[in-house]
Amino acid sequence: MVPLGLLSKGEKAEIVDIKAQKGYYHGKGKDLLCYVYNIGLHIGKTVEMLNNAGRGSVLVKVDESRIALGRGIAMKIMVRRIEK
Amino acid sequence: MSLELKIQSLKLNEGENPVRKKAIIVAVAGNPNSGKSTLINAIAGTRLQVGNWPGVTVEKKTAVFEYEGRKIKLVDLPGTYSLSPYTQEEIIARDYLVHEKPDVIIDVVDATNLERNLYLTIQLLELGIPVVIALNIYDEAMKKGYKIDIKAMEKMLGVRVIPTIATKKSGLKELLKAITEIVDNPAIHIPKRLHYEEDFELAAASVESYIKTTYPHLAEKYPLRWFSFKLLEGDQHVLQEINLSENETFIKDIREHLKRSHGDDIESLMADERYAQASGLTHEVLKKPETRKIEMTEKIDRIVLNRFFGIPIFLAAMWLVFKLTFDVSGPFADWLDAMITGPFKRWAETILGFIHAPEWTVSLATDGIIAGVGFVIVFVPVIFAMMFFITFLEGSGYMARAAFVMDRLMHAIGLHGKSFIPMLLGFGCNVPAIYATRVLENPRDKALTALLIPLMSCGARLPVYVVFVGAFFPHNAGTVIWSLYVMGISLAILMGVIFKKTLFKGEAPVFIMELPPYRMPYFRSLMIHTWEKGKHFLIKAGTYILAVSIIVWFLLNLPWGVENKRDSYLGKMGQVIAPVLEPLGFGKWEAASSLVAGLIAKEIVVGTMGEIYVPKLEDKKEEKPSLTEDLKEIGTSLVSAAKDSIANIFSTFGIASLSSEESPEMKEERESLRNVIRKQFTPLTAYAFMSFVLLYMPCVVAAIALRQEFGTWKWYGIAFVYQMALAWIVAFMIYQGGKIIGLG
Ligand SMILES: Nc1nc2c(ncn2[C@@H]2O[C@H](COP(=O)(O)OP(=O)(O)OP(=O)(O)O)[C@@H](O)[C@H]2O)c(=O)[nH]1
Ligand SMILES: [Mg+2]
Repeated sequence: MVPLGLLSKGEKAEIVDIKAQKGYYHGKGKDLLCYVYNIGLHIGKTVEMLNNAGRGSVLVKVDESRIALGRGIAMKIMVRRIEK
Repeated sequence: MSLELKIQSLKLNEGENPVRKKAIIVAVAGNPNSGKSTLINAIAGTRLQVGNWPGVTVEKKTAVFEYEGRKIKLVDLPGTYSLSPYTQEEIIARDYLVHEKPDVIIDVVDATNLERNLYLTIQLLELGIPVVIALNIYDEAMKKGYKIDIKAMEKMLGVRVIPTIATKKSGLKELLKAITEIVDNPAIHIPKRLHYEEDFELAAASVESYIKTTYPHLAEKYPLRWFSFKLLEGDQHVLQEINLSENETFIKDIREHLKRSHGDDIESLMADERYAQASGLTHEVLKKPETRKIEMTEKIDRIVLNRFFGIPIFLAAMWLVFKLTFDVSGPFADWLDAMITGPFKRWAETILGFIHAPEWTVSLATDGIIAGVGFVIVFVPVIFAMMFFITFLEGSGYMARAAFVMDRLMHAIGLHGKSFIPMLLGFGCNVPAIYATRVLENPRDKALTALLIPLMSCGARLPVYVVFVGAFFPHNAGTVIWSLYVMGISLAILMGVIFKKTLFKGEAPVFIMELPPYRMPYFRSLMIHTWEKGKHFLIKAGTYILAVSIIVWFLLNLPWGVENKRDSYLGKMGQVIAPVLEPLGFGKWEAASSLVAGLIAKEIVVGTMGEIYVPKLEDKKEEKPSLTEDLKEIGTSLVSAAKDSIANIFSTFGIASLSSEESPEMKEERESLRNVIRKQFTPLTAYAFMSFVLLYMPCVVAAIALRQEFGTWKWYGIAFVYQMALAWIVAFMIYQGGKIIGLG
């Protein structure tokens, strides 16, 4: 299990946990969790890393959408790599 | 059954009444970027905002049209992924649906991204309002080789599903037909209740019956099934609205029961439940091809988002926008200028002379209104051209990439990439940019972004640059103007860092944003948006600037009969302020007076200069050409302006011409502001002056926008103070620094 933010370009992984707790997103951890959920990032979903420069935000692909995520939240989403 | 029939016949009776003339309200809901605005435009042909970054439509927009003798009103809801109450868009969309109770909802579903779109659909179905699904962007889904079983989808959801291609206006007739069928017969079109897990259904049913007996007015006010789920989820927004606490015993009891068997977070469980439905449905109806080819969007992104090339590509794109803007619009601006200072002014003089208007009204009309408004109108082509190219970038999908690329830089100033979009809009006009900060989820980001927006050089500042650059740097006009924009951006970064360390201490915000696929924007929608953005400028020129031109003319001509402009009220104000500007290189009363007038709106700086400087040169009386000569001249010069403009576009791409631009036709020594300015300024003081205009305080309209968005004058006050200080310091450094290295 690794944080999403540590995947490198081209790697695919399955989301296993999202560690957004209360108190993280300006005292409203749930809002963030909800937004991540609504935009299509759920536990069990397969994501593909499209762009990760090591710093700054990352770009992942979920289904047919490309989603840019700040590093902070990318490190809270735990994934399991899928071997090719 | 019998109840249904009764309702049906009731409605049928209504059908014969004039009641039918009442507009049918159709709400258009859907994910961001699913094509809601495009669809409404295609149906009603009205001018609505269309963009390609998620969240463009923040405000509610409507379009009314007639179809088969009925009035239909379409309401464009902001794009949302869900009906949870966590973003402003979601709250706007959901409040509308719940409280305004539209007759029909068109749910615009992006066929290329079915699962996530159906997640919203499932929530819409809970409302119990008839739904029609517009399965939009069907063309792209086909191109990807998707097979969607529409019949199965209709059966499973119990609603009509109509494939549409909004951009090609296909499927719209069927959609409208479905709507009228539903309106004729709403009872049989109430969507199916999707069945969630038994425990939730039971809990919801008991909340429903409790509400019906105990709070009948709430049962009237809200869609009951939806309302019960919200109470179970503990939705804060709803609870606040009805003034009930989460701890209300009956809710609490039922929640406790659910929690015991399902765990703590009922809201997440409900979300999973809905998502499972969306997901199951998608699996049933959608067949994707086995192999997936690499899409164009991915290929472009590999280059555009590259960690080394990303920022240079962004800067190059911005540079190209400015270059093209001036090349295309320059000849038209010159043409307008010649028209206004030439024939137009002459006609006004002739007409006023003909009706024996007093001398001073002639001066008010020509030197005041025509010169003032005219100087600003000249920039209409420039502003529309720039809006056109910015709209192109937005519509193509590149703008969202720019936000992504800039995210890292934005972090340095305590913001994230999403704030970058309002800031970019600021290049057009700061006012809509300030309103666009609404897309930011938290107040801290909003306030900080809004404070930095005035440093983005808006269209109103362009006229000032164009006049000065034309006078002093005609050979690298594009580059000099570009440098001012870059200066604005750099200072925004600097101020951001300062604000982050002082006013806005605390955690950095979270960045989540969807990047839409690249699409070639349609010319029609480009024109609509260009117009939407540019019209603010036209309206301002027509009302505001007209009024200010008149006031300024009076300030310049009072006390009555003042001989020298220097002794007028405005001149006196300028004289008082001039010493403060002395260290900046433009401590002259003329410049100071123009800056005073520009406090209202920056484009007025140029207009005022026109009024102060230009009349002084009016000694030589030219013989007046006849009306027909005038008209002929207008026509031929317009044609040649168009020719020049087109030639310029092509020369933009020629490498040689990039650095050595032809100077605009300054050949005929037109009586022009530029000539006077050349005598009053040096290239160095001109640059310092432009920097000052760039930076000094937001205009009054922006001030009103700031006040409206934040409900307090506090942020405007801060912006005013810091910008004044910044403008003075920067202009000081440019002028004094330039003198030291011998540029003076
Ligand atoms: N290929 C294709 N593109 C479409 C279709 N409908 C819309 N688009 C494009 O999708 C993009 C987004 O369209 P909009 O109408 O702005 O979407 P919206 O749903 O109003 O977006 P928001 O207001 O941001 O929620 C535009 O570039 C449209 O040209 C379609 O049927 N096919
Ligand atoms: Mg829209």
